[in-house]
Order: sequence, then structure tokens, then C-alpha cells
Amino acid sequence: MDAIRTENLTKKYALGWRRGRLLALDKLNLHVHEGEVYGLLGPNGSGKSTTLKLILGLISMTSGEARVFDVPCEKVQSRLHVGFLPENPYFYKYLTGAETLEFYGRLCGMKGTHLNKRIDELLALVGLAHARDRRLAGYSKGMLQRIGLAQALIHDPKLLLLDEPTAGVDPIGSKDIRDLILRLKETGKTVLLSSHLLAQVQDVCDRIGVLNLGKMILEGRVDQLISDQRRVSITVQGLPETAREKVMETVRAAGGELVSIEHPQTTLEALFLEALNKDKRGAGEHD
Amino acid sequence: MTEPTQKNIAAAKPKKEWVGFSVRRVATIGENTFTEAVRQKVYNILIVFALVVIASASFFSEFTFSEQLKFIKDFCLGALSVFGTLIAIVGTAQLLPNEVENRTIYTILAKPVRRFEFLLGKYMGSVLLIFVSLVMMSIMFSAALAFKEHRLVSDASRTMGNTSRVEEKQELQQQIQQIRSEVLDPNLVKAVLLIFAKLALLAAITLLISTVSTSMIFNVTVAFMVLIMGHLVGTAREMWSSNTWAKWLLALIPDLGSFNVADNIVLGNAIPWMHVGAVVLYGLVYTACTVAAAHFVFSDREI
Ligand SMILES: Nc1ncnc2c1ncn2[C@@H]1O[C@H](COP(=O)(O)OP(=O)(O)OP(=O)(O)O)[C@@H](O)[C@H]1O
Ligand SMILES: [Mg+2]
Repeated sequence: MDAIRTENLTKKYALGWRRGRLLALDKLNLHVHEGEVYGLLGPNGSGKSTTLKLILGLISMTSGEARVFDVPCEKVQSRLHVGFLPENPYFYKYLTGAETLEFYGRLCGMKGTHLNKRIDELLALVGLAHARDRRLAGYSKGMLQRIGLAQALIHDPKLLLLDEPTAGVDPIGSKDIRDLILRLKETGKTVLLSSHLLAQVQDVCDRIGVLNLGKMILEGRVDQLISDQRRVSITVQGLPETAREKVMETVRAAGGELVSIEHPQTTLEALFLEALNKDKRGAGEHD
Repeated sequence: MTEPTQKNIAAAKPKKEWVGFSVRRVATIGENTFTEAVRQKVYNILIVFALVVIASASFFSEFTFSEQLKFIKDFCLGALSVFGTLIAIVGTAQLLPNEVENRTIYTILAKPVRRFEFLLGKYMGSVLLIFVSLVMMSIMFSAALAFKEHRLVSDASRTMGNTSRVEEKQELQQQIQQIRSEVLDPNLVKAVLLIFAKLALLAAITLLISTVSTSMIFNVTVAFMVLIMGHLVGTAREMWSSNTWAKWLLALIPDLGSFNVADNIVLGNAIPWMHVGAVVLYGLVYTACTVAAAHFVFSDREI
């Protein structure tokens, strides 16, 4: 059983009277296996958040279907084992960190010492123990992101949906969050996260999918995408201009083809950009 | 009713799980709504009410005791109704728009929470806010009456001490008794109860309006328009009682005037419990229908 399964999931936003509808997601078939970390990538407005909201039943789909652990996502039950971190999370600013977690814990049916213990545990986990009794109005962006993560984890869900978990967080915080995701994966959790920065998530994701204008344009295992067998990159140093010409000649003579001269570490990033460039559809398709 | 406790989450197979309506989740959301109002210092408005009460109790000492007490009752009941209305309408009108604007609604509905539980929780928080403000205003109102009673009684006693005529002493004794009975007027409790029923209905109507529109100004304006129509509708029904169409249309507007008994109190008329019960029941039925309508709109709405 897949943790998430969507079939031809389509979302058109109504743009208001006589302005038609905007196709934000176009027949998406997304399968997230249990226990994997899946990265949903794509530029701004490509439909990442829309996908997550549809899976959570927060917005209604135009057509297609989506299931979470085989439960249709329109049903409340589908959210029993799901934790969600929205993008740019914003919670009740008049509550303290601990009160925030208590509120969401109670909504998940938790109570008593069990809940209190869980709150302490999570505040320590996300590094907010020092701010437990401060109101969220005084939290920084990175702290809000952390309390958001703790809130998503409160009922120990099997599946986590994280919308841009590392956005607006400093490099150390971002590393902490990625380490946390890896630890969650070790305990058997499934994670679906979105980001527009490939480099930030490529070392935590098992698989990635690239969305552009609501369509999946590239999908695969990160290790496979990186090691494209037909390509070889030769890194040299101090090669004079004339010698470079000779190297190229040798390559051509042997029947090879010079694709590009590039920095080897950025292959995946390049792949990402290449896929986006190839996708020649115009922005903002209406119907 | 199933509460998804940790245990049955782990034990049950996903297919058999069911999330029913939960009073506890409604209470959690209601409590949070109330906490928000308190911490955003909504109750500061009660300081203004306190000033009104103090003013009403300190003026007009040249009038007869009966007039003075009537004035305090009339003025304070009016102020209680006005301040309660402000809290009910303004407090409720911003609940849903704020949740949507700040996207906090996503964090709640991403949990196993039904939309109806969310809506009802928000409404209950608002009703709790109204209830607590009415209790606090009633306490201030009672304090003003007690203060006035103390003043009037001690004035009367002083006069009694200065006179030696037996008839005048008896008269003053009677006067003191009458002051006490006018202050301990059971009708006041009925009046406040009816105001509470009216405000709960008004909050439900405001909630219904705010499920349709996300503009706070629009919501408040429409709610006040309904309030005004609700007070005029009683007269309108009498005027157009022959026209069936008008009668049906007017039946849709709640008769808010029927909740108002302040005039009777000032005139000293008794208000039978039967009447109070009937009006409260009318309010409850109307409120339930309004909340149901709000749910109907809200359950299909894009957020
Ligand atoms: N409520 C809405 N009404 C109308 N259009 C919307 C709405 N929400 C999103 N859209 C549109 O749908 C498209 C996809 O938006 P979405 O928020 O899913 O993008 P995203 O991939 O999450 O982008 P970002 O990286 O900026 O967060 C965009 O073109 C956006 O303008
Ligand atoms: Mg987004």
C-alpha cells in the first residue's frame, strides 16, 4: 500500500466572476511509497502547495482522486496519521510554544500526562525548550518553522507533509531540519516535502519529482538521476587552451560527443534547470 | 462517538477507522477562541461599561428614589445590551476571516477535525465570550444598584433619626422596604437572560454572514442591518399582516424586539417566566437553524 496515491489529480482555481479558471494542477499521478522521503520540486507557482493541500482535503479537487493510506482524502479519517507543516507557517500568536502544542495535541485526541510528556519531548527535539513559555508573537521565522514541525509531529503520525520546511531558515537550522527528516525516515515515517531549492533537499530525498505549471516533468530516484551512465565528467586542472583542443579532438575521434563542460557537483541542479527549460509551455494557462 | 486516542490509532486497521463528532474537539477550539479574545484584551471594552455604570449611579440625586432606581436600571440595561451587541457582532465577524487570512485554519483542518466541529467550536467560543461579558457587566450593574441602595437607605435612615413623628418614621420604614424590593428585582435576571439569548442568536447570524464573505467591514455592516431589521420586523408584521408574501418574507427575519423587556421593567410590569421561556425557546430554534445554515455554506466553501 502506498502512503499517498493520486490518480489524474487535477485542480482548477476559480479566478472570480468571468475570469475563468486557472489550471494549477494537471492530471498528477503521484505515488509515494511507505517509508520513503519524496521531494516535490518546482519553481514558484508550479503547484506544489496545491498538491499538498489537495492531499490533505483542505481544498477540493476538480477531478481525479487522491488517497492517503488507501483512504480517500475527502474523508476526515484520512488525516488521522498525517502531520502537516504549511508554508510560511503562522499559528496563534497569543499562545505560547507549549500551549500551541497542547492545542494541536488535544485536537488529535491526546490528553493528560501523555500529552505533557510529548510536548516536552518535541520542544526539546526541535530546539525550542528555552522558548516554551514565550508567546509566538515573539518568535522568529525559523522558530515558527520549528514549532510548526513540532505541531506536525505531535500525534506521532506515519506520514508527514512538509511544505518548504527549510524556507527562511538559516543554514544551521536548515541542516537540523534535514537531519530530523532523516531520523524520522529511520523510524519508518513517510515524508513528502516540497521545495524549490534542489540542493537543499537532494541529500534527504530518496525520490524527487519536478513539477512545472502543474505537470510532472521529471521523476526518479535521486541516485539514478545523478549517475547518468552515458555521461562521464573528467575534471582536469591547469590544462592549456591548445591542449584542450587536442582532448576534444581525441573525444571526437573515438566517436564520443562533447555535451558540455561543467561543474560536476551541479549535475542534478543542471538536470532540474534543463528539464524546466525543455518545458516550453507558456505560463498561466487558462481554460 | 469515537475519540482517536493514541491506542486505537495504533491498534485499528486504517480501513475500519472512523472519526465521529467530538465534543472535546469543539470545546478545545471554543476555548482557544475565548483565550484569543481575552489575550487580545477584548474585555477592555468593559472598562467603558464600568464608566457608564458609575455615571448612571452618580447623577440625578435630586429625583425621587424610585426615579433614580428606574434610571439606573434603564440606562444600565440599555448599555449592557449595546456593549453585548458590539462584542457579539464584532467578536464573531472576525473569527472566520482571521482564520482564513492567517491560514491558521489549515493547521486545524489538517488534523482529524471535522469542519462542523471547527465552525461550532468558533461559535461556542464566541458564545462563551458573550456569556462572560454579560456576567461581568451584570456584576457591575448590581454593584451600582447596591451602591445606590446603600445611599438611599442611609439617607432615609438619617432622616428617620432626625424626626420624632411616628407616621413619618413608618413612612420612611416603608420607603426603605420599597427601595430594597425595587433593587432586588427578579425581572432584571430575566432581562439579562433574554439579552443573552438575543446575543447568541445575533452571533449565529454574524457567523452565517462571515461564512459567505471574508470582509470584516461587510460582515459587521450586514450584521447591524439584520439587527435593525430584527427590531423593526415586529411592527412591519403588524402592518403587512394581510399580505401573504410579505408575511412569509418577514417570517425569515428574527423578531429581535421580542427579546427586549427593559421597558416593562422600567414600568414595573411583571414578566412571567412562561414568556421568558417561550422567547428563549424561539431564540434557540432560530439559533440552531442559523448555525445549520452556516455549516451548509461552510462545508462546501474553498478556504
Ligand atoms: N487560492 C487560489 N486562487 C487562485 N489561484 C491560486 C490559488 N492558490 C494558488 N493559485 C495558483 O495556482 C498555481 C499553483 O500555486 P501553488 O501555491 O500550488 O504553487 P507552489 O508550487 O506552491 O509555489 P511556491 O513555490 O511559490 O510556493 C499558481 O499559479 C497560483 O497562482
Ligand atoms: Mg508553495
